Parts: sequence; structure tokens; C-alpha cells
Amino acid sequence: MIGAGGLVLVVTIVFAVAGPPLGRRLPPAVATRVLVSAAVAVAAATGAVLTIAAFTLIGQIPQIADAGRWSAQVVHDADPVPPVLAVVCGLLVLPAAGRAIVLLVRRLMAFTKVQAACRDHPDAGALIVLDDDRPDAFATPGLRARIVVTTGLIRALDSQQQRAVLAHERSHALHRHAWWILGADLAAAANPLLAPTARTVTHAVERWADEDAAVEVADRRLVARAVGRTALLLRRSTPRPGPAPSAVGGNVPDRVRALLAPAPEPRLRHVALLAVLLLVIAGGSALVSERGRELFAHASVSRQHH
Amino acid sequence: MDSRRTPGSLEQDVLRALAAAGRPLTPAEVRAEVGADLAYTTVMTVLARLHDKGVLTRRRDGRAYAYQIADPTAVTAQRMRQLLDGDDDRAGVLTRFMGELTEEDERLLASLLHRAESEDER
Repeated sequence: MIGAGGLVLVVTIVFAVAGPPLGRRLPPAVATRVLVSAAVAVAAATGAVLTIAAFTLIGQIPQIADAGRWSAQVVHDADPVPPVLAVVCGLLVLPAAGRAIVLLVRRLMAFTKVQAACRDHPDAGALIVLDDDRPDAFATPGLRARIVVTTGLIRALDSQQQRAVLAHERSHALHRHAWWILGADLAAAANPLLAPTARTVTHAVERWADEDAAVEVADRRLVARAVGRTALLLRRSTPRPGPAPSAVGGNVPDRVRALLAPAPEPRLRHVALLAVLLLVIAGGSALVSERGRELFAHASVSRQHH
Repeated sequence: MDSRRTPGSLEQDVLRALAAAGRPLTPAEVRAEVGADLAYTTVMTVLARLHDKGVLTRRRDGRAYAYQIADPTAVTAQRMRQLLDGDDDRAGVLTRFMGELTEEDERLLASLLHRAESEDER
């Protein structure tokens, strides 16, 4: 069990280190899908392994063994995980689960507020224009996504650049980018090693929308100019009250640089590498949970014989 | 410019043009803004549909109607603004066009755009 758990840990670290740079070399739509799926799988695997390890100690508590109808003695004798290690695993997994739950609740509350704000808006596809001097544009999450732009943004850009911004936001809405970001952030909340992966996903999602916008307006440089101009204007305008959404919008110079270069090509090698890592981690955590299941099945059988 | 329209984009483009104008526009004026490649009747249909949904109001202007964005939309916009000024986890659910720049980002971006523009001129 320790061996398989160690394997999961090693692959987690390899993915945490190698995932973001690999993802940045992929086309953003592929990168987002692969990185989020992998991050969620890695977070789930590490969570499961830690829980099972902790449970080899918790399962020795007589009351819990009674409730679960297995023999505390057999679990104790088998002792697949040293007690100190089991305690450490328990201390790691509890706050991790707490962080993920808090994040999920906060996001769902924010989501509900956004939906409530849109409740009287008559049409899903239409545009909401906010009378605000700050140049800003965003898409709301949900099945009936709305696109919001400020008058400040409309005044700052020419009509072609405005179209590029709308195309960018339509891509966010169409591909449900808010949910991909939620997946990555949940994984990072549960496993802080995945924080760089979540940041890479936030950036990839913006790049994805930029690439879609470039296809729709058939001009990469136009999108680059719209992105660059808006960012510079926003920098010069008065900041909005409240905390600045620093992780939002990706790395703007990188976005502009990518748009000034040719469209990225898919690289199978990188996807394949990530897929192999995922397979190893899935195998490792399956092995750990199988050992855990065997242990408690064995302890249950032994109890019936006593 | 050669470009394709995705579903819903024409309605948004029409609304964008009306918002940019800041005054009621006739179908002919809207068409001039969103693209002369569109048929006049297409623009008329979109405006009428948005009016039916309550997104636009209209008044007679000579022989045609002049359209502008309706007040219920402004109510939604007001709520949106309150949402943005709040301090909950809105940044996580709204996919924004742009985040804040650092000073270094600003310098880098300015030089990138400058280089792109000088390349365009060549």
C-alpha cells in the first residue's frame, strides 16, 4: 500500500511540475481540457490515497470498528501504514476537503447572485451594456450566458475592436469557461501542489477565447490590438472598489505575443505524455484503494469467525 | 473584411452599435454600423425581434422606426454593477476580458504593440 501511495505522490509531483509548461505548449483549447481533467483526477487520487491511509488508523478505534463490523485487532495487526504516517495523512486530507468545500460553496453562491442579477433580462443571447467609465467586458456563467460590456470599453475601441471583444466573450460563454476554471480551482484548493496548474488554466482559457475571436473576425492582429489597448486603458483608469481580481484575464503580454505569432499547432507528444502520467496515477490510486478494500474485507471476515 | 458570424453574434453586434451610438438609430443607420454586407431586411428582422423581446424600445422617425436599448436592460446592468462592486467570489464565475496589469506588464505590452504597429506599416 505504501509503495502504491508513494507512486501516486511521485506522479502528483511530476504532474504539478511538468503539467503547466507542457500545457503552455499546447493549443489553448486542448491545454484547458487536458490540464483540468488531469488536475481533477490528480486531486481526487491524492485525496483518496490520503483518506485510505488515515482510515487504516481510524479503523482501529473500537467504536468505529463495531459500527463498520470489522475487527479492530486484525486492522491493527496488518498495520499497512505506520501510525505516524496515517496521522499525517489525516491532518493533510481534512483541511484539503474543507478548502474545496468552502471554494465550491462560495462559487455557487456567486453564481446564484449573477443569475439573480440577470433574472429580468429578456434574452440569453443579447448584450448588457453597463454605464461605467472603466473598460470592462465579461460573460456570465450558466446555461443562458449573458455578455456584459461597459460604455467605457465601447468608447475606447473602434467598431472592429469592439467586435473582437464580443467574439472573445462569446467564446467564454459558448465553451463554458467558468466551469473549467472552477474545476481547476477546486483541484488546487484540494491539493495546493496544483496551484500553478490552475493559474495555467486561467491563462489558457483567455488564450482559447482570443484564438476563437481571431477566427471569427479573421484577423489575429486586430484581436491583439483590442486586448492590448483595453489592458493599457484599464491600467490608467481608477481601480474598482473591492479586491482586484488579480488571477483574472491571464498574462496579457503573453496573450498579445501569442496573437502576433501564427496560430498554435497541436502537439500530440505533449498530450501523450500527460496521458501517460494520468494512467500511472489512476493505476496507483486504484492499487491503494484495492489494498484498503482487501484489508477491511479481511478484517470483516476475521470478526465473523471470532 | 472577410469574417463569419456565429449564432447570436448579429443581435449582439446590433446592440453594440446602438450602445456605441448612444442615441436611437434607424435600421439604415444600424446597417451602416454593423456591416453593409447585410441585407436591409435582415437588420430590420433583428431589430424587430429584439423589440419583441423587450430589449429595445422604438419610436417613429419619419417613415422608419428609430430603436434604442430599453430600460429593463438598464435595471439588469445596475444589478450587474452592484455585483461587480461586491466582495464575494464573483471573479471566479465571471469570465472577464481583462485583468489588472503590473507595471512590468504595461511596459512589455506597450513595446509589443509598438513593434506590431511598425511592422504593419512596413
